[in-house]
Amino acid sequence: MDHTRDNPLKRFTAFWIAILLVTSFGIALIITQPFAPDKTDKAYEMMGEGRLEIKEEIDRVQDDALNEAALAEALQAQIKSFGQNKESKGSMPVPGAAPAPAPAEKPAE
Amino acid sequence: MSETNSTADSRDVVLRSSIDRSLRHPVMFFFTSGAVWLALAIVLGLVASAKKHSPEFLTCFSWLDAGKVDAAHMSAMIYGWGLQAAFGIIIWLMARLSRKECTAAGVILWAGHAWNAAVFYGVVRIMMGEGSGVTYMEFPSEVWPVLLLCYSVITIWSLIQFQVRDAGHVYVSQWYLLAGLLWFPWIAVTAWVFVFLMDGHPLMVTGVAAWFKGTLFSLFFLPVALASSYYLAPKVTGRPVYSYNIALFGFWSLAVFGPWAGMQKLVGAPVPQFLPYAGAASMILILIPAIAVGYNIIRTVIGNSEVVAESPSLRFTAAGIVLFIVFGVLSVLLHTVPAMKLTQFSYTGYGFDILGLYGVFSLCSFGAIYFIVPRITRREWLSRRFIKWHFYCSLYGVSSIVLCAVIGGLTQGQGIEDLSQPFGTMAERASQVGWGVTLAWAFLLIANLFFCLHLLLMWARLGRRSSHPTLLKAHHPESPHGPEGEVDNYSSASA
Amino acid sequence: MTFKAFIIGLLGTFGIPWLLLVVIPYSTMRSLEPVEYGQNSELAGAFVPKRDGRIKEGSKIFGQEGCALCHTQVIRPTYAGNDVHRGEWAGLRKSSSVDEDTRRETIVQDYQQEDVAHIGQTRVGPDLSNFGRRVEHYLRVNKSTRTPEQWTLMHLYNPKGVPRYEVPETDEQIVTAWKSACPPKSGLFDKVEVHGAGHGTLPVDIEEGMGIKPTDRARALASYLVSLKKDTLGNPLPEALNYNPKAPQPEE
Repeated sequence: MDHTRDNPLKRFTAFWIAILLVTSFGIALIITQPFAPDKTDKAYEMMGEGRLEIKEEIDRVQDDALNEAALAEALQAQIKSFGQNKESKGSMPVPGAAPAPAPAEKPAE
Repeated sequence: MSETNSTADSRDVVLRSSIDRSLRHPVMFFFTSGAVWLALAIVLGLVASAKKHSPEFLTCFSWLDAGKVDAAHMSAMIYGWGLQAAFGIIIWLMARLSRKECTAAGVILWAGHAWNAAVFYGVVRIMMGEGSGVTYMEFPSEVWPVLLLCYSVITIWSLIQFQVRDAGHVYVSQWYLLAGLLWFPWIAVTAWVFVFLMDGHPLMVTGVAAWFKGTLFSLFFLPVALASSYYLAPKVTGRPVYSYNIALFGFWSLAVFGPWAGMQKLVGAPVPQFLPYAGAASMILILIPAIAVGYNIIRTVIGNSEVVAESPSLRFTAAGIVLFIVFGVLSVLLHTVPAMKLTQFSYTGYGFDILGLYGVFSLCSFGAIYFIVPRITRREWLSRRFIKWHFYCSLYGVSSIVLCAVIGGLTQGQGIEDLSQPFGTMAERASQVGWGVTLAWAFLLIANLFFCLHLLLMWARLGRRSSHPTLLKAHHPESPHGPEGEVDNYSSASA
Repeated sequence: MTFKAFIIGLLGTFGIPWLLLVVIPYSTMRSLEPVEYGQNSELAGAFVPKRDGRIKEGSKIFGQEGCALCHTQVIRPTYAGNDVHRGEWAGLRKSSSVDEDTRRETIVQDYQQEDVAHIGQTRVGPDLSNFGRRVEHYLRVNKSTRTPEQWTLMHLYNPKGVPRYEVPETDEQIVTAWKSACPPKSGLFDKVEVHGAGHGTLPVDIEEGMGIKPTDRARALASYLVSLKKDTLGNPLPEALNYNPKAPQPEE
């Protein structure tokens, strides 16, 4: 009988050959990945495109409608008014005070 | 001449018994825990089948809901019993045929425990309704890598043993073992990556899972069963395998046709059309290896009907091989285009799966277990009667399941196709079939209680201390294992 | 046969089907282009089945609860089976209450946004491709005040029907009328104490002061089931319409 086939080195090589064989198709999967086409299930993105178009439309209309000069003027007026503010009595109810009045009518269900 | 022979023989006996001793613990562990899982799987199968005709049965336990219990039943059967029985057969047979002792019994045993824990975890998660929800791969995603790792740790030593075997003949069994050992990780890794890791089209996820289920049988369970048969048939009868060329042809025809199986479940679904038909064609072509292997093994044992009747291992193996031929013939009938209309979504598929898993694989495994266990425990089987009951109840049970499910499934499928009948007719037919299947599972349960008990007694080392094997006939002129009736004695198991 | 020849043989015989049956079809199917509505359609953009949030979760629960064991979700073309003509599986038939035949075969977009296509294992129960369409239609014809989700939850709780549960009487075409063999999914419902109106509990009679409340899983599953409308109304793509048995085929 030929006993030279079995030695630690041979076993070590056999171990790695076995690992390689067992995982061969796992490795093949990794290798083939770059060649696989990308996922093009872009249905959600295509739906999103429609929504984006509407959003852009709205943005454009709003931009057009924006009167920057008037806005700046209004802001300036506001800034000036801050300096003229005076302390006044708060509108929050104080504990122990009468409860706030009930709303006139119930909101619709 | 005779003197050198006898010293070589005695050296051989020593080597064999040292191989057996080195594998005693892992192999017994796989067989006994497998048998317990099988009993559990059958109980679950009984419940699952009962729910199909009596929907109110056990509804108080929501973890036993019909769909979940069926998934748990099949998973326990495949991963609890099937794979573990296969592990025991693979590591023992490969060690014996390569004539190498196992040096990693401890590691294998640990991996076996981890395997059991993973299967248990998976089955519990399925019953809790937390499985993956993918038909045929119901274990949650995290179970699969654990199973794959355990599988590699258990079987890698067999691959090494094959590589460092003493130069000489490679047996037919070794081809099947080697191929099965490699095929399982190939299909399992592919299926796991495509089903659970990558984000694919839902239909292809279903398709890959169906392919995994189909190839798991044709490329793992079948090779292991055939390896065991190609070992036992010549060994027990003491005759060489009938034809080497037919064996070669049978092996390569399985290797060529087997990997295409599985996607026939998707006939009519909007996937590329050749996928399901390739699956159906491969299932039809399975008849070729079935006939090749069946003819070869039957020719090997024929003329020794006495031995087949007496030896428990050979009797189970022969039954398994005959059922493999039946499997091949049925496969042709059930996968033609007109038949697929009726069988695709009826009980037929279930009956066919059970025929493969129980009728072919499990019967061959029982044969192997009846052969291996006395050798590694150095005790003989306790009761001839237990083995007989196991055999007859198994055969009766599996035949009834297959008959009920296949024939009943065809009438059920016909009921759906026949538009003049209301849907209720079909449901009625399905329910009648269900009763038959439930009853058949009860027979299998009885069979496996005998088997499980017997095996556990052997595990507890309560077997008979005798040099005469347990045969199925009380008075035998001569042991089939050789003139001296010694367990370990055999003339060359050339294959 | 040397070891090397053996391994090369195995790699080859396995590698070819592996590539042709699994890897290439998987990659191809994953990169399907979305289908735009035709020029003549009133709708713009691409067709997308809306399966977000709870519906997607429900699809997963459908698989986990093993519904696919007894229910399929595929209407096979006529060469593979008679599904299109079986009851209302493929869509609604033209009748006094239905203006247009909506039946069709399943097409590839029908499963989009699900994790896995629930093709199903057996047909112990009816095909569910158009479950949502059938329930909606049935409730409308019977002038029921229930929502489809409520009806579905009742069905999941007790498929055989409990007292106070509307049983369809007239329209024979509605397949839900036959005695269901579906086991009750009691695990998806909690028994809770109710006070007053019993918010969110099912209209079933059990003991005094108690009610049956669907869990989140049950609600998700019901949402998914009600969303199943794989007919020509659910998917008005020209290519889907071509699989309608009555629809005119485009002229060459």
